[in-house]
Amino acid sequence: MSRRRTATALCLAAALVLSGCAVGGGGAADGTVTLHMVESLTNPTRTAVLKDLIAEFEKQNPKINVDLISPPTDQADQKIQQMLQSGSGIDTLEVRDITSGPWSTNRWLYDMSKDLKGWAGWDELTDNAVKYAKDAKGRTYYIPYGFYGLSLFYRSDLVTAAGFKNPPASWDDLLEQATAIQNPSKRQYGYAFRGGTNANSNAVAVIEAYVADKIDRDNGFKLTDGRTIFSAPEALTALKTYFALFKKASPPSSVAWGYPEMVEGFSNGSTAFLLQDPEVIATLGESKAISRQQWTTAPLLTGPGGKAVQPVATAGWGIAAGSKHKAEATKLVKFLAEGDAATTFDKKNSLVPILKSAADDAYYKTGAWASYVKMTENPDAYITVTQPRDSSWWTEWIQKSDAEIQKVLLGKMTPEQLLVGWDSYWTAKWKSQ
Amino acid sequence: MGALPDAGTGLRPGAGGRGHTSTATSAPTAPRPRRPVFTSRQGLTVAAFMAPAALFVAVFIYYPMTAGSQMAFRNWNLNDLTDTSWVGLQNFREIFTDPVFGTVLSNTGIWVVGSIVPQFVIGFALALWLRRRFRFRGLYQAMIFFPWAISGFLIGILFRWMFNSEFGVVNDLLEKAGLISEPIPWLADPKTAMVAVLIANIWYGVTFFAIMILAALQSIPDEIYEAAEIDGAGKVRTLFQITIPSIRGTLSLTVLLRVIWIFNFPDLIFAMTGGGPSNETHIVTTWMITVTQQGDYGRASAIGLIVVAMLLVFSVFHLTATREKSTTGGKRTTGRMPRTRRTKGTVL
Repeated sequence: MSRRRTATALCLAAALVLSGCAVGGGGAADGTVTLHMVESLTNPTRTAVLKDLIAEFEKQNPKINVDLISPPTDQADQKIQQMLQSGSGIDTLEVRDITSGPWSTNRWLYDMSKDLKGWAGWDELTDNAVKYAKDAKGRTYYIPYGFYGLSLFYRSDLVTAAGFKNPPASWDDLLEQATAIQNPSKRQYGYAFRGGTNANSNAVAVIEAYVADKIDRDNGFKLTDGRTIFSAPEALTALKTYFALFKKASPPSSVAWGYPEMVEGFSNGSTAFLLQDPEVIATLGESKAISRQQWTTAPLLTGPGGKAVQPVATAGWGIAAGSKHKAEATKLVKFLAEGDAATTFDKKNSLVPILKSAADDAYYKTGAWASYVKMTENPDAYITVTQPRDSSWWTEWIQKSDAEIQKVLLGKMTPEQLLVGWDSYWTAKWKSQ
Repeated sequence: MGALPDAGTGLRPGAGGRGHTSTATSAPTAPRPRRPVFTSRQGLTVAAFMAPAALFVAVFIYYPMTAGSQMAFRNWNLNDLTDTSWVGLQNFREIFTDPVFGTVLSNTGIWVVGSIVPQFVIGFALALWLRRRFRFRGLYQAMIFFPWAISGFLIGILFRWMFNSEFGVVNDLLEKAGLISEPIPWLADPKTAMVAVLIANIWYGVTFFAIMILAALQSIPDEIYEAAEIDGAGKVRTLFQITIPSIRGTLSLTVLLRVIWIFNFPDLIFAMTGGGPSNETHIVTTWMITVTQQGDYGRASAIGLIVVAMLLVFSVFHLTATREKSTTGGKRTTGRMPRTRRTKGTVL
């Protein structure tokens, strides 16, 4: 190769490298910016909705491109964590209530509060959305896109066939009806029990319902006297009812069921009751085994006092501290949190909405959504509480509590031992803070 | 008959005919080939050519290994990286005192032994069968080798649904065959969960043994078997005195590799049971993943180092135990292949 050719090749290579760097930084010579956005709770339908919304945003902002990255759900948070730790590669991201704590502690998230001062969108958000958009110190690491909340999905045909006029209203009712429907020889089971991943969530929901009268609404794991909910005598009664559901009215393999198995069990017609978030409404709508007329939802189950406690779970859109395009990223977050974009995202993903305007929307007053409206309209009976999901030890808690629930189900631990352990765990953690 | 060709199977020259003929024993020792000697200029050239590869290995293998290892001695928890101070052996202490550790260790033993023994026996039998000439042999070989092309995680997901107590095909078949009257909760019962994951792993791993052993078997000349038949050796004697000694090197190496791989094979268990129910199917590597998912990289790195140490001890033990004795009265060699084998006359 001649010197001239070599020099040309080197110049070309240098140009390519430099242009590559420019792309990596997300800026182009004409002022176009590329935002790298990562979602966490990925599923194909949701990704398609998100892509449509992004296309709309790009149309309104021709100088901003959004590159959506959609890792598989079960690895997403770990991938996002790795990307955040490296300090580059993410501008906008999905932040969950359970990840916001550790990620903000590690200073990986950008506090948007200054950028959102005077934003008209604040007035459109529900009180809950505003509450969850700000942490205890008033910092905004994410704006919720919707809420997850439990309701009881039930097979109306099976309930009627078993001789019951109404769906279960309390945990005791559920035990009675699920036991009556259970018929293993016909592969018909009462309740889609959650014994695998995140088993703790439903167990805690029962306990909270039984201590509803004395629960601390700002910390759903605490009683108003400062002790843990696990120390209350009602907690043991609650757990005994709950574990009886497994023994008398659930498929034996549900000791290992997580989200996919539970939803599949209800969707394929083998279980009559399922406690799940509203996003399941969309999934069940596609079931080939049960028709839309065979199932609906009922409000969350109450304890002996006639009250239920709704543990609110949420996620939203935030900005990485390492982003070089915070202004553009803020624009995107605002776009997704207001107007048609927010409404479309919540409706198509069956989420409890973040906008006040949803209260007047007929869509949320009918069918499977009616139970959510009933819960919203009766805040004294269906109490909303915040759980300490942003604790840095939340993942550790999930692993510990899930494993121990399985131990009880397998007869290797008693409910009493489990409660004593949980009580000391949380007491010690709060003391160490 | 002279020394047998190695044929790339780990088969030692002459090993194919232990005691088969006297000529095999009297092969003269061949002169050891001399190592090429480089001039310093040539040496520099070789070093220059090797430098990129060495750099690549250093950056992508040794650096992450070193960086990962030092995490084991630090408080490295992703949930709070504000304090990543040196904690000495605390992570190791926590692992050894964790009640799960004992279960995990015993599960790992069951997982490795319970997988390797059936895989070896069935794989060997399949390889012996496939060595014979019969119609559609190629098709059968392809069918048997097919599972090896699928990822372990996918196999795990497939078997998870097959063993599902309500909707799985396994219970369905057993019920139709009249072997059970009610569904068995395979993956939900600690007594059956490990059995289910072992069945899946045996199905998956038999293939590897079959491939390796078949390759080794095909390097044994047919003449040896013909001679054995003429001399009146039965099938069992032929198996133990010709076949196995001929491919002993391959068998040893394959077992070593498989033990290491099975030990480090969390994919299948993770997809099938996630280590549950109640940690009853956790092996060391699935446990390490669970700890990593908790964000405790320090403790996970410590478990990783323990795995390396255990495999190192096993490898040294295995290689020492299976090392060939030299031709001089049982004195152990230093790992080099013996050129000739002492025999005790004709066996066949």
